[in-house]
Amino acid sequence: MKQIALPRPSLPELESKSRWLALLMLAIGLHVFEASLPSLGPWFKPGLANLVTLLALVLMGQRAAVTLAVGRVIVGSFFIGTLFTPTFIISMAGGLSAALVMIAAWRWIPGISLVGVSLLGALVHMLAQFVTVEFLFIQQAALYYALPPLLVISCISGWINGALAGYIAGRLDHEKDSHEKI
Amino acid sequence: MFDILKGTWTDRLLLLVSLVAIVVGWIMIQAYISSGPAMADIYHADTLVATYPLPQKGEPPIHLQVEGELGLSEIVIDEQGARIASSPCATQRCVLSGPHRHAGDMVACVPNRILIALRGHAESGFDAIVE
Repeated sequence: MKQIALPRPSLPELESKSRWLALLMLAIGLHVFEASLPSLGPWFKPGLANLVTLLALVLMGQRAAVTLAVGRVIVGSFFIGTLFTPTFIISMAGGLSAALVMIAAWRWIPGISLVGVSLLGALVHMLAQFVTVEFLFIQQAALYYALPPLLVISCISGWINGALAGYIAGRLDHEKDSHEKI
Repeated sequence: MFDILKGTWTDRLLLLVSLVAIVVGWIMIQAYISSGPAMADIYHADTLVATYPLPQKGEPPIHLQVEGELGLSEIVIDEQGARIASSPCATQRCVLSGPHRHAGDMVACVPNRILIALRGHAESGFDAIVE
């Protein structure tokens, strides 16, 4: 019987895939955790899962960040039982918009740090959710009455998440350097 | 960690611009919706279904049922504010969010496409706060 030799992926490729999967698992865990938190507002969450998208962007690039944002909403929604419901569509719109804006800010705004990138991501995440609801489900401008206070909270959570992402990315770089020296 | 919290000058500028835009928008929205008596507007998708004044203390509560995408949502408007008492949606977040009374507050059930938006000045707005 003839055996087919499958091409083996290189070690760096495997390492990169395993790191992406680890981040995806973390993002899914945070997505499910946030869904179980008591609601601070109709669509408000602390944005911890977005923090992982930001980490993926910094550590692995823009493609990894977008696929992670999409992947965590799909798998996370499957676990919390909201797959293909309005909640899923709103989460997907928010997560994907935030990922794209964070990529654009990271690439094209000079002098910006992870704090600023996260701030913009949090604001766009909230805005995209409201626009999606108004466009697809409740076509009323009255929806936006509740937007300003939620945007203020998004500023605070985005700023803190950005600082956390900066701290974690710094630590991971430090760990990587230590391993390379050993 | 705390040094990272400070951000760069670009970050701070972005925060300042964002906050100014939000506050200006907030003031404009409040100026638009705070005038007149306290009212609850009830919408389904793109339709204004009903508008009711918020009852004051001693006035009887208003009960109504609104047909949404999934079924009937029961809405109660009493002296505590407007709330969704029961909903056919799976998450029940709209029911759990409780009563709302202040201008700019809203109760939304996105799966059932129901929205209650509050506007106007509520006389007994802070009756839950005690000295």
